[in-house]
Amino acid sequence: MKLLTHNLLSSHVRGVGPRGFPLRLQATEVRINPVEFNPEFVARMIPKVEWAALLEAADTLHLVEVPQGPIQDYEHDENFLRKMHHVLLEVDVVEGTLQCPESGRLFPISRGIPNMLLNDEETES
Amino acid sequence: MDQEAAQLEKQHVHAVYESTASDFSALQSKAWPRVRQFLLEQRPGSLVADIGCGTGKYLKVNSQVHTLGCDYCGPLVEIARNRGCEVMVCDNLNLPFRDQGFDAVISIGVIHHFSTKQRRIRAIKEMARVLVPGGQLMIYVWAMEQKNRHFEKQDVLVPWNRALCSQLCSESSPSRTGRPCGHPCDPLCSDGGCSVCFKERRSSTRSHSVDCAPAGPGTCCASISKEGEEENGFYHAIGKSFRSWFFSRSLDESTLRKQTERARPMKNPEVWANSTVSVQPARHSRLGSDHQEPFSTREGSFDEEVFMETSPQSLGWLKVESTVTHFNGDCQRIVRRKGSGGFLGSDDAEDCEDAGHSGGGGPAARRTFRSVCASSPAGSGTDHAASVGEQQDTADPRVFMRYYHVFREGELCGLLKENVSDLHVVSSANDHGNWCVIAEKKVNRD
Repeated sequence: MKLLTHNLLSSHVRGVGPRGFPLRLQATEVRINPVEFNPEFVARMIPKVEWAALLEAADTLHLVEVPQGPIQDYEHDENFLRKMHHVLLEVDVVEGTLQCPESGRLFPISRGIPNMLLNDEETES
Repeated sequence: MDQEAAQLEKQHVHAVYESTASDFSALQSKAWPRVRQFLLEQRPGSLVADIGCGTGKYLKVNSQVHTLGCDYCGPLVEIARNRGCEVMVCDNLNLPFRDQGFDAVISIGVIHHFSTKQRRIRAIKEMARVLVPGGQLMIYVWAMEQKNRHFEKQDVLVPWNRALCSQLCSESSPSRTGRPCGHPCDPLCSDGGCSVCFKERRSSTRSHSVDCAPAGPGTCCASISKEGEEENGFYHAIGKSFRSWFFSRSLDESTLRKQTERARPMKNPEVWANSTVSVQPARHSRLGSDHQEPFSTREGSFDEEVFMETSPQSLGWLKVESTVTHFNGDCQRIVRRKGSGGFLGSDDAEDCEDAGHSGGGGPAARRTFRSVCASSPAGSGTDHAASVGEQQDTADPRVFMRYYHVFREGELCGLLKENVSDLHVVSSANDHGNWCVIAEKKVNRD
């Protein structure tokens, strides 16, 4: 699971609503997967990022050199874009958990795949 | 009713995909050109979600966008993951995403697996929720109206025979006789070939390159609309199995029916058998065990056998004495829950026990679907169940059945317009036996 994916995920346990975001990340196995750098692509991702969630996740994984937010003229700042590229796309959580901040419900990440299925009792009806 | 719907889907969608996932990976599947085009037209840097991604055939179509694949079926997701895709397991009815995160969403051959109208609407609403304003959603569903013919009913159980699947994979190129494949396969070939006709063949001499570049051998979906396609030699082996299609009363109808029936008591067990599962008979009394003519000698006959012909020759629906087959091993069980009235209709629990969905537990109800046929030639239109005894194929433990609600023309658009107010239909078309709709999320004018 990439951090860009984590940035989109939210808990849908019944009654939680927007308080289900962001999910608290715990990782027991992390891998770095090289991904081809595409600056225009990364630049377009930046406005979509929820920064607080990203920083929280990056912090849990003890990542270094993570930009704290978009900087001025970031579209043309290769250094910035490369760092964001790395954080969003190359860090891969292989084993771990995602926790709903409101209900505490844990969702497992196994072999890089988050399982977000809820039981019948937990879903919004 | 939602619980019944969930149960139906569990048995006739999820269990089947889970059990057959490994077969999918052996079959290359076609990427629909319109879907590819939709993906390629997204702006670079877009975030795209493929809800019901299966083995992930669309996830790498456009390298300029970030595509996230989601599917309910763990085994399929694992296959996609092993191909290097970013994927997760989740439920279309409860998408685990924050609002307005995606620039585009695709739903290809997915919502026709939902067994009630309300669930289909819910699935669409969830996808609309996660779209940014101005973002687009593409939906593909199986059409009731196929080329020159249409399904008899909208709620269908489609058999999948695993043995035939692996047989096909190992087959080298068969002889070609020019007969159209012409069967009502799953045109979407969701994740690996048609459920009925595995026309996929590694050594296929027929390339369908005009349709799709990376997809490899053409699929029956491509061939269903083309004339003079090579014959699928696979049909020699099918025998009776695929003539035994099952149609069901939709759960929506069942609910309505139950409501009216509360006013008058259920008379006898046959009532529900008559009204729920009925088997489309073979046109030419093929289901008798002593008729084993090679299928290939007949022109387009399979197609006719499961579709409603416009000619007056077509047989009427024959009622079937419906029983549940106890399958062995990893095969799917068709179970009627005691008293639930579920998928198979009635509330009559008299002659059925809950066979249980897992394990061997308790006495399994030995019930078998019986294929029936008119003992007289095609055109007689008899209306009584003429059992010809247990059919090998329907008792074949390797047969899975997938549930589909096939859509009438205009149904999907209507569903969107009437129920999903924040989506606006941009285009609608029939693509090789599927309804394809593109809708856009409205922009708030605040």
